[in-house]
Amino acid sequence: MPRKIAVLGAALLGIVLLGVILISADQTQAVVLGIGGGALIAAIALSVTLNYQGSGVVNFSAGAMAMYGGYIYYGLRTNGQLFLPPIPNPLSLIEGLAHLFGASGFSLPKIPVFIQLASSSGGHEAYGTIIKGAAMPIWEALIIALAECALMGLLFHLLIFRPLRKAPVLARVVASVGLFIILQAIVVLRYTSSAQAVGPILPQHPVALPRGIRLPSDQILLVGIVIVVTAVLWAVFKYTRFGLATRAASENEKGALVLGYSPDFLAGVNWVASTVLAGLFGILVAPINQSIDPYTITLLIVPALAAALLARFRSFWITMFAGLGLGMMSAWIQLISNKSWFPKAQGSALPGLTDTIPFILIILVLVFRGKSLPTRGAIETIKLPFAPRTKRVLPASLGLAAATFVLLFIVTPGWRLAIVNSLVGAVICLSLVVLTGYVGQISLMQMALAGISGFTLSKIADAYHIPFPIGPLLGACVAVGVGLLAGFPALRVRGVNLAVVTFAAAVTIQDLIFGNPAWSGFKGASVAPPQIFGLNFGPNEPWTKFFSGGQGLLPNPWFGVFCLIVVLLLIWGVVNIRRSRVGRQMLAVRSNERAAAAAGVSVSKTKILAFGVAAFIAGIGGALSGYRFGSVSSQYFGAVPSMLFLAFAYLGGISSVSGAVVGGLIVSGGISSIVLTSWLHVSDQYTLLLAGIGLITMAIFNPQGVAGAFRTAYESFRGNRTESLAHLPLEMSESKS
Amino acid sequence: MAVLSTKGLTVTFGGNRAVNALDLKVEPGQLVGLIGPNGAGKTTTIDAITGFVPSQGRIEFKGEEIGSLSSTARARKGVGRTWQSSELFDDLTVLENLQVASESVSVGGFLRDLVRPRNDDIDALISILDSLDLGGTQGQLPTELSHGQRKLVGVARALAAKPAVLCMDEPAAGLDTEESQELGKRIRALVDGGLPTLLIDHDMGLVLTICDYLYVLDFGQLIAEGTPAEIRADEKVITAYLGQSASTEAGA
Repeated sequence: MPRKIAVLGAALLGIVLLGVILISADQTQAVVLGIGGGALIAAIALSVTLNYQGSGVVNFSAGAMAMYGGYIYYGLRTNGQLFLPPIPNPLSLIEGLAHLFGASGFSLPKIPVFIQLASSSGGHEAYGTIIKGAAMPIWEALIIALAECALMGLLFHLLIFRPLRKAPVLARVVASVGLFIILQAIVVLRYTSSAQAVGPILPQHPVALPRGIRLPSDQILLVGIVIVVTAVLWAVFKYTRFGLATRAASENEKGALVLGYSPDFLAGVNWVASTVLAGLFGILVAPINQSIDPYTITLLIVPALAAALLARFRSFWITMFAGLGLGMMSAWIQLISNKSWFPKAQGSALPGLTDTIPFILIILVLVFRGKSLPTRGAIETIKLPFAPRTKRVLPASLGLAAATFVLLFIVTPGWRLAIVNSLVGAVICLSLVVLTGYVGQISLMQMALAGISGFTLSKIADAYHIPFPIGPLLGACVAVGVGLLAGFPALRVRGVNLAVVTFAAAVTIQDLIFGNPAWSGFKGASVAPPQIFGLNFGPNEPWTKFFSGGQGLLPNPWFGVFCLIVVLLLIWGVVNIRRSRVGRQMLAVRSNERAAAAAGVSVSKTKILAFGVAAFIAGIGGALSGYRFGSVSSQYFGAVPSMLFLAFAYLGGISSVSGAVVGGLIVSGGISSIVLTSWLHVSDQYTLLLAGIGLITMAIFNPQGVAGAFRTAYESFRGNRTESLAHLPLEMSESKS
Repeated sequence: MAVLSTKGLTVTFGGNRAVNALDLKVEPGQLVGLIGPNGAGKTTTIDAITGFVPSQGRIEFKGEEIGSLSSTARARKGVGRTWQSSELFDDLTVLENLQVASESVSVGGFLRDLVRPRNDDIDALISILDSLDLGGTQGQLPTELSHGQRKLVGVARALAAKPAVLCMDEPAAGLDTEESQELGKRIRALVDGGLPTLLIDHDMGLVLTICDYLYVLDFGQLIAEGTPAEIRADEKVITAYLGQSASTEAGA
């Protein structure tokens, strides 16, 4: 068995490598110091595994949950305040109306932002202000925080994942992405995005280990706790009826019913266990870095997914050891990055290599094991959203284009910018329509690909004075190259596993390329404005009014017109793909890979083509956004923005071109943002939260997206147009019976 | 020369031989039946011939070894198949389902289609639909059709690829007796029109009536082959079916 030899070889290589590292004492010291972070990775990975076993959901938000748990606890520890998610207040509507009619100076009760739990000396509750309160004792805070985690797990199950039990993989991935966005958005709303200092929870005195290695006691305790947790999970799953039923359910839901448990109950219990586990370790591990922020722990989901995948979402022990190993590995890389031979970028060590290791591990596991990864026996009764043949495209797009054209010149600059943002956003959504909507391949890396193109435009095209139309096309082609590289695993990997691969790829691209100072610097890389025949139509080029609008008020509407033309061209192409033979083959692959192969369709070529086309479109989007900001920066591209764009595209309607247009309207900074902020006076900070909630709601109630809802409404308005079948009399052929 | 033949075809699932050293032949103009009780390895045989499960032994199409080709490549060479549960592309209309099978793509064609998509060959596809009494359904979605019609669309899709040999996996499953007989006549007509076919079905009455030659599998093993008359008289076959063949004989 060549595969067994390969696995053995890899294991041997790992052991030798470990031996080499452990020979030198300072390396050992550094590696051991990574074990605390490794415990958190292990715990998040265990949480992911529990979710998968219990309900077949690969939970992208497990890291976010750990982070959220940490914030609950440290809120209580700092000043005894339990922070609440924003709850819509119906009274504010009445207030708003009253203000509209001139009544002022009165205010109705507000829903609090925090609950003061520990007695505050002389303090009182006040809306929106963090007041100093007394710190809550450790045990009380811990119990309350874990209780809230448990409650959240139960709510996630009841409100989100139970309704999605029979939904396609895409809907469940999208829902967990939505949860990720929501949890992060709530914490940013309450505590801002900057790091908060946290005090110790476990004792932190140095302990001397053999060979002169010193390790803080809290790290040793953390490893002990994660081992105990793993042992308990292992014992429960091996020896109890409940564990047996969960394992049975993860293979086939009927198996659990035979053992007398409803799959629903099992899923719920496992959700609670997994959120409590993630929350607990978020709380326990945060003090290692003395601070907590909304991003670091959240993104540990990538190594955690690598660990869980290595253990096939099954073995708790392998999961745990892989998690600890990844933590130690990243600590070791940090150490060796100080060495002189380590790859450098502008004098300092190349960043992002720590994140590359889980990515490589994920790729190896998935590519070598691709087909043997577990799939659940649950029946998917809800289909992927329908991908209709687009009708009446020309009049609709010309009408919209004309309206947009006029608006670009007459609206105020804020609105003009929103229109431009929506146009750029629509381009990224279009790329997802091709890849996810037409071929059913989930990608969480489209913004990273866009970024690749943007950085190419800035660093290569501008540096070598490559003129305008070639520069962005070159960028898009580089994006295609990277997209194809990332697409190759897709030939062996399906559904949620592909989401994992692409997400890991996005994180790696973000840290390794966008975070590389040689490429981006700290302010981002500048992009020269587009111009052709000496005619500059960059967003910051002064323009002359000719019927309305102010002279010199930026952005330049001609840049909007340029974006509009690009969007129209891409829409034309994507609509034609759906109408062409390639589009039919794409939908055939999406619908049934075996049957497509039997019909002579090359499944792998179709997927690779889709990855290429989608990367090209995303690349064009990246170039546009580079022009729009005059620069490219790592904040705008990368893993989380990629997630957000999948969210926007899905919300708009992932399987149709009109959905991409709607998706463009709702991207952050787009038309919906300006409507929310300037008409409804909703703070811009709420956009992400609303996107997350909208995403989950849409995944549950209307997988067709906003555009699909309109289409259904329109068609039922037009009346059922399917004609009755013309049953012709059977025409007997001569038979030879 | 046989259009399609296997020599020593063996499929192993984890040490268990689902198909064991099977030799079979489909000659031009022949309708060959492959029968056997549940779990005999009939569908596995078709899956192996069309490249959906890995197999050992030789698979020859018009004298050329095709066992190492991908399922897509075998389909393009002319080995068509239908599926037990139709497996239609539910997001595509009936006509589009057929188009997927009939069309080939090229890079140049793709780029041309980006600017201006073309549809050719539609008349040929419509006439396939008409020949299976599916005329008028081309604009409908598979989900809007009856079960029997869906099965026929599956057949039409396989025909749209212009196969040189067709493997049909239980085309009559789930049809009532009348529909089943009607389908049998159509299959016979296809074969007589020049399409050699390998047919799997549970309906013994149907298979014994329309086939030219039969292979009988039991637990992956070939237990009998011959003309329908020979198979009816075969002791081993009667034992394998535990008297089932007696009742179908009465029906036929």
